[in-house]
Amino acid sequence: MRLTLNILLLTAAIGLWGCQQQQDKRINMASDVASDNALVNIVTKPVVYSFSWITGEGLEIDKAVTYVNKDGFMELEIQGHNRAFNPIRFEYKVEWLDGAGLTIASSTSKWLTYSAAAKGPFVIKAVAPKTTAVDFRMNTRKIPK
Amino acid sequence: MIKKLLTIVLFASITLIGCTAPTENIDTINDQGKAVMQLDYRDFERAASQMVQSLIASGQLKKEGGRYVVASGRIVNDTMQRVDTDQLMVKIEKELMNSGLVVMTSAVSGGTSPTDSMVYDVRDIRDSEKGSEFKQDTLQQKGQLIAPELSMSGKIIQRNIRYDNNKQQVEYYFQLQLANLGTGLRYWQDETIIGKRGDRKNVPW
Repeated sequence: MRLTLNILLLTAAIGLWGCQQQQDKRINMASDVASDNALVNIVTKPVVYSFSWITGEGLEIDKAVTYVNKDGFMELEIQGHNRAFNPIRFEYKVEWLDGAGLTIASSTSKWLTYSAAAKGPFVIKAVAPKTTAVDFRMNTRKIPK
Repeated sequence: MIKKLLTIVLFASITLIGCTAPTENIDTINDQGKAVMQLDYRDFERAASQMVQSLIASGQLKKEGGRYVVASGRIVNDTMQRVDTDQLMVKIEKELMNSGLVVMTSAVSGGTSPTDSMVYDVRDIRDSEKGSEFKQDTLQQKGQLIAPELSMSGKIIQRNIRYDNNKQQVEYYFQLQLANLGTGLRYWQDETIIGKRGDRKNVPW
């Protein structure tokens, strides 16, 4: 009986998820601000959240855009999404590489903190310390407790 | 009896030695240490990194056909801590010089910012009797110092706020601005905020 109920709830959650009205993707409405849907419904919310937790939803990078500004410095913009239902704070470090593939020593290449809003997009920006930078690499880590 | 006492003392000593936290070097590249209520080196690194990137991205340091000469202005420490503002400024100035956009001057500075006293010491020697001891064409000539065109000044502010009965919030504001000394116009300004929340008993100074 309980198993049947769980299956029904899960099916309903997935169904409601799929029936969500598609809004303008540029606007991220928090689950506790938007009108009632599968994410905030008192019945389906625990199921959806549990499903997200079980599947290990987290941050995803959509794309990394680089361009050279008018002064000759490479600028980087990393666009991504937080798929989880909770904000995720993390640290990142961008290192810049010159034409020979060598790392450019810079005190700007330090662990910096960022917070990605729940179920929302995020953007990380960085600027190369020298005009000799032609590429980059980025590391992330959990914030030390 | 004495043997027993010695054994107890020895045992207690070994136990106490075992309880002492060992001294270890900080891994400044990948520091996994917990946050502290006071400003530590990681806070200065973060603030400096963000300030430098903001300044380079602003495009205000680009000078057609040359580099700006920048002087270190006054950095006010308005915190409850004994902060040497060079902890912030040395990192920023180093990065700006490495970027190839500016050259810093050691001839003049504001407030407690560093100048190199040798710039004037060698001129005092030139103008004194000792000056005749030097090969004259190796002495610094008059009218050779380059005046700064830009000045970088700022402030570090601390605010303590009672968060609830057991917690306090400490906010640190790193403010920096770049002014054109010729026109007095402010070319760039930015602020980095570092906030900490912790036990009320932790004294942030």
